[in-house]
Amino acid sequence: MSYIGKPIKRIEDARLVSGEGTFIDDLSPLPNIHYAAILRSPHAHARIKKIHSEEAAKLPGVKGVITGEEVAALTRPFPVGVKAPVKYYPIAVDKVRFVGEAVAVVVAKDRYIAEDALTLIKVEYEALDPVVNIEDALSPESAVLHDEVGSNIVNHRFFNYGNVDDAFKNADHVISKKFSFPKVSATPVENYGVIANYTKSEGAYTIWSNFHGPFTLHSVMTAALKVPSNRLRIITPKDIGGSYGIKSGVFPYMVLMGVVSRILNLPVKWIEDRQENLMASSSGTDRVSWIEAAVKKDGTIIGLKMKYADNVGGYIRAPEPASLYRTHSNATGAYRIQNVEIEAIAVVTNKSPTGLIRGYGGPQHYFPLERMMQIISDEIGLDVIEVIRKNLITKEEFPYHTATGGIYDSGDYHKALNLALESIDYQGFKVRQKEAWKNGKYLGLGFACIVEPSGSNMGYITLALTPEERSKSLPKSGCSEGATVSIDPQGGISVRISTVPTGQGHETVAAQIVADALGVDPITIRVVAELDTLTSPWSVASGSYSSRFAPIGSSAVYQAAQKVKLKLLEIAKNQLNTTLDELVMDNGKVRMKKDPEQSISIKRLVGLAHWNTEGLPIGMEPGVHETAFFTLSAAKSPNEMDIVNGSVTYGFVFDAVEVEVDIDTGEVKILDYTTIHDAGKLLNPNIVEGQIMGGLAHGLGAAMYEELAYDDRGQFLTGSFMDYLCPTATEIPKVTIKHIETPSPLTPLGAKGLGEGNTMSAPVVIANAVTDALRPFHVSIDQLPLSPDRIWSKIHNENTVKI
Amino acid sequence: MNGEGAIQLNGKVETVFTSLLDPEVLKNCIMGCNELNKKEENVYVADLSVGVAAVKGKYDATIRLADMQPPNSYKLIVNGEGAPGFVDAEALIQLVPIDGENTELKYTYEAQVGGKVAAIGQRMLGGVAKLIIKDFFKKIKKELEKVNIAE
Repeated sequence: MSYIGKPIKRIEDARLVSGEGTFIDDLSPLPNIHYAAILRSPHAHARIKKIHSEEAAKLPGVKGVITGEEVAALTRPFPVGVKAPVKYYPIAVDKVRFVGEAVAVVVAKDRYIAEDALTLIKVEYEALDPVVNIEDALSPESAVLHDEVGSNIVNHRFFNYGNVDDAFKNADHVISKKFSFPKVSATPVENYGVIANYTKSEGAYTIWSNFHGPFTLHSVMTAALKVPSNRLRIITPKDIGGSYGIKSGVFPYMVLMGVVSRILNLPVKWIEDRQENLMASSSGTDRVSWIEAAVKKDGTIIGLKMKYADNVGGYIRAPEPASLYRTHSNATGAYRIQNVEIEAIAVVTNKSPTGLIRGYGGPQHYFPLERMMQIISDEIGLDVIEVIRKNLITKEEFPYHTATGGIYDSGDYHKALNLALESIDYQGFKVRQKEAWKNGKYLGLGFACIVEPSGSNMGYITLALTPEERSKSLPKSGCSEGATVSIDPQGGISVRISTVPTGQGHETVAAQIVADALGVDPITIRVVAELDTLTSPWSVASGSYSSRFAPIGSSAVYQAAQKVKLKLLEIAKNQLNTTLDELVMDNGKVRMKKDPEQSISIKRLVGLAHWNTEGLPIGMEPGVHETAFFTLSAAKSPNEMDIVNGSVTYGFVFDAVEVEVDIDTGEVKILDYTTIHDAGKLLNPNIVEGQIMGGLAHGLGAAMYEELAYDDRGQFLTGSFMDYLCPTATEIPKVTIKHIETPSPLTPLGAKGLGEGNTMSAPVVIANAVTDALRPFHVSIDQLPLSPDRIWSKIHNENTVKI
Repeated sequence: MNGEGAIQLNGKVETVFTSLLDPEVLKNCIMGCNELNKKEENVYVADLSVGVAAVKGKYDATIRLADMQPPNSYKLIVNGEGAPGFVDAEALIQLVPIDGENTELKYTYEAQVGGKVAAIGQRMLGGVAKLIIKDFFKKIKKELEKVNIAE
């Protein structure tokens, strides 16, 4: 019986739907916990002249009011992977640089008192000119946020691969466009939460938080706190109520509350509210892209020039500017384009700081790239499918090496495309579309091809540095993850993982893998997903990000289970007096291949390891407790030519979406959404389905509704769910999901990550469909979200066409 | 955010002008004004409670009068700060006599808000501003009746 690949129900769900989940706000791990509330800046950019906190401190029940100066005295600015000397503390010191930045923390015996006390603090500000837009920030005329940097550009790199000049010389068409991608967030049901306790006697911080890594940030936090790494113990709760990357941005608050606990000598709890989350937690970057394609008249794209600028908000904080480089290795997407020039820029502006988010850099990247496929085919007068087919990497070319260093491990892109076309009746649509136009109905069909990277390589982030700068420090590479499988004296199997799931069902899949390896029922296995940096098997790359569980985390579990299996087989070999290759393990037993009657139960083997160690083979350690760490050699550090394989596995998504646009209201209706996925071997189709739908909803939000909007003074305008619109169940269209499976040759189970693909594809595929629908008006979508007012203005203001 | 408007008031230009600068009258006419005191010539400090959408709270406001052209025009500059954020507004007020008994008041204003009130209340701001202004003039009319009777 094999459990991998089966649509097993999630073992997490019983506790979640019966109210037995354990989230950060449920925890009360210490006596005498006090509650924190944070005073936040109403200004986008201002100097703090004076903070009057005396009245607040006098309120009965208040234990203290902490300001930036006190925090700065006990910490260092957070390190970040760029050379620009941006000083980022978890609370404003001297200056505020975005609306919502922390200015003071009140700690009181309960949250009510803490929040009341906030209203008693008076802050004198001297307002400064704000910088809000990317293009303003690029200008040397803009007000400088960080005087030490001298400009608002905090990272700037040029890359050149192949022979771009020749490609553009030999092109029949050169097509240039500019695109803007909005600042969007993810909106997990649960907001940030931290419980922090500093113990003077140990000089140590213990911090409980719904933080899910990457655990590179553990080193960022210990640097800020100025403590040895084992003096910062991070413990995550059993359940985390969603993140989609956003919760990695809780780390500044972990440091802040740690220091507040230290100053006041009290354990402190802080639970973020929704307004704070929208205003000041984290988000993706907004990006402006300039893209230029060199194209032959048969549709072959022979060169690409891309310049993009990401807005990282008021401070550049780790892991930024990684958003610029996450897609570097797959910069040319699913296409065979070997001549590429990239200029990558990160700017700071008076908006909230950014960080990990589902799709990280992908939606921003594929929006211009996949819009261009449609624009190119229109310009040279070919069908877009023909242009896509011509440029798609063929299955014979795998493993495919991209110009920038990506190594696409496996795929069959044409097969996925063909499957999509079979599903939608492309030719039939074209006829329907023409008929509909005649009747004043505007139907459109859009396509998008996405290479979905998963299991990121630690090394890619160092592309932010030049090869010379990189050579001055130790190289970074790998994608390490650990897992432990152990069996207690009575045969109970437990698994400990460090992938910190935030709702993706890692416990279920880990149980499936171990069940397969040891020949037991997954229901009997307990998986511990709480991470504790003092006791869990973790490494620097641990955590939940870059869809790394399927390629990496699950592989660590697999490897640990194999170690346990081998140990049990060794014991059995001794007991049955045979050789390893004569043995099989299934149904809770180890038996002889040739003589199934000769067997020994796993329970008995475990018993020997614990209760009767004299029965063990000579030299074997007692107990059954095996930890494995997994990485892949494909994750190498960037070389001196800036060649890097940024992820270890690369999946594929092909989307075809039909929309109808109401030209009187500007409303876009999605009539059909077909998405074809290739994520290698699927570990659990149930979970796959949920992940795909979630990623799609997220991408749909960016396409149609969501934007963290700011006015030209840097005032934040979308601080509630009435202003920041998220798609709900009623906005989700009919979705057809189909799979092909080209297993990864690199991972032991053949699996690749998924769940981010449609976040990357949905914004652009919908933009392509809307552009297609509005052909009679010559509207070309270059900006999101596709709100009715934006579409309406595009139709009616920018065109002289009379309707 | 900006706006403009005009309203007919019952009173001579001089009466209207004097009333509009009277702290007691202002206190009675400004919605949510708990206290208003003259700090110095043409500068008042006020304690306001205003709710915009879900953002209710107190503002410490400074009200300055500038470019005084009695009895024809003046500029009103309001800076309010409080837990919900801040409000900076500037209004130009012009008084034009209609006849010996009535005056037309014309106003234009520009306002900026910041912090929570902008983040959550911006959908409602225009409406709230109109409400506050309308309420102010309704009350001013009543105050002027009192003054007119007294005179």
